[in-house]
Order: sequence, then structure tokens, then C-alpha cells
Amino acid sequence: MIERTNEQWLSDLTGPPEVQAPALEDLRQRLQRGIFYYLSRERSDLSHLATHELNHMAEDLAQDATLRVIANLDSFRGDSRFTTWATKIAVRLAISDLRRARYKDFSLDGLTAEGDTLPATSDALASNHSPNPEHATERSDVMLKIDRALDEALTERQRQALTAVALQDVPLEIVAERMGTNRNALYKLLHDARRKLRQHLEAQGLSTDYMLKLFED
Amino acid sequence: MALHEDELRKLINCIVTSHQDDCLDCESCGQQLDCLAELVAQGRSLDDLMPEVTTHLCCCRDCFEEFEALVAILRAEQGGQLDISG
Repeated sequence: MIERTNEQWLSDLTGPPEVQAPALEDLRQRLQRGIFYYLSRERSDLSHLATHELNHMAEDLAQDATLRVIANLDSFRGDSRFTTWATKIAVRLAISDLRRARYKDFSLDGLTAEGDTLPATSDALASNHSPNPEHATERSDVMLKIDRALDEALTERQRQALTAVALQDVPLEIVAERMGTNRNALYKLLHDARRKLRQHLEAQGLSTDYMLKLFED
Repeated sequence: MALHEDELRKLINCIVTSHQDDCLDCESCGQQLDCLAELVAQGRSLDDLMPEVTTHLCCCRDCFEEFEALVAILRAEQGGQLDISG
């Protein structure tokens, strides 16, 4: 595999077919190796897959990533090595695919239904196992206030997004797709939700430092 | 909605990590991720670099997951584990 400078990569990938073809193949192979390493060494959730299955996944992802890199060549700013930039695109593609596969059955409707089946507040309070009765009462009181703040301070859309992302650990990308928006817009919506919730709680005398200390293990 | 204690902790942590309005969004963070990942893979401390990107990474699991993956691949490459020359 030829080592290329950033300029050479750009020149070769946009050059005549006899120059472009080997550059494309070098890029594809490079991305495939990086993706395979990530899938096989960094993803414990894929450890049940055989090497040939991971290789097949890496091959498909590298093919798609190469096409995406070529389609986005104009946006390469040269802040990093070209191969790092291309790997960033491949990583995002690979992780997106893995997220979609993992959360293929996730729905916001399901989230609401599951929310309905959460234990009633009294049950939640009963699970408040603090050895100190005063401490337990204080925690219960704050829990109720936070519970109420979610309803009072946030819009339905903010509450839905915060529940999925912050409480159920669903990736932003998945929640954004289900909400018919994009990750960037969802991040901003969540940012506003966090800020509103923080302000609402602080207005009731509940600072984040106080709450952190109260609920530390 | 009734919350469990572990959910409550997650929620409080999420509020605590919320940042100021002038911080980066996912798109802007993504544009700088390759440059930042190279520096971190070379051994620089994340905390000393691009504080606004670092702040975003603390608040955004999606971006952080992608950043970590990129750094891992770059480190493997530096360590000769990807066999790029082949």
C-alpha cells in the first residue's frame, strides 16, 4: 500500500481512472482494517460473532464508507491526516449501523407505554433504602420534586427525549430518527430541557451539588 | 411519571453536565473530532485540548462513542496492529 500525503490522496482520488482505482482500493482496504479492528477488539457486544462474520461486516461497511468519503471530499479541510478524516467517516457509519441494529425495535410509543408501567411513586419511595430515616425522607421529598419538575418544566417532546436519552441510554441518533429530527436539533432540544430542569429545581432551592450529595451511593 | 433512584441519579448527572449556551453542537464537534483524536492518540491529554469540544464530549454519549472508537483505531494503527503496509 502506497503512503500518500493529504495532497496525494486528494489528487489520486480525483485523478484519471488508472490513478483513481488503486487509490480507491487502498482507501477501502485501510478503512476495512480499521473497522475490523474496532468491531473485533473494541466491541464486546459483538464478541459472539465469528471472525469471518466480523470481516464480512467490515468489508460491507468499508465499501459504504469509501463511497461516502468520495462523496464528501470537498468538505475535507486538511486539519488532520486525510486517512484520519476518512476513518472518522467510516467510524460514524459503522457505529450508526450498529446502533440501528441494536435499537431496531425501539419506539417512542413503546417508551411511553413502558413509562406507564413504571412503579407508582409510593413504590419508588418504598425502594428508597437509606439507613437513616431522616435522610430517606429528605430523599423522598426531593424525588417527588424532581418527578414533578419533569412534568411542570418540560414540554412533552423534551420529556420524551430526555427520558429516552438520559434515563434509558438510547443513542441520540436513534431518538432523533424516531422523532423525525436530526441529531444536532435533538442535542439542542435536550440542552434546553436540561437547562430548564436545572433552573426549575434551583428555583425550588435544589442545587445540583445538593442533589448529587443527597443521592450519592 | 415515577422515577427509580438509579434513573434519578442519571437525571441529576445529566443536569449537572449541562453546559453553557455557547458550547458546541454535534455537527461542530464532529468537524473537529479527527484533529482532536490525532492529538489524543499521540498522547496529549483531552482536558488540555479544545475545551469546547471536550465539554461537548462530556455531554454527548454519541459523539464520545465515535471519538473513542476513532482514537482506538488510530492507536492500533500507531502500534502496528492494523498492518496498513500490507
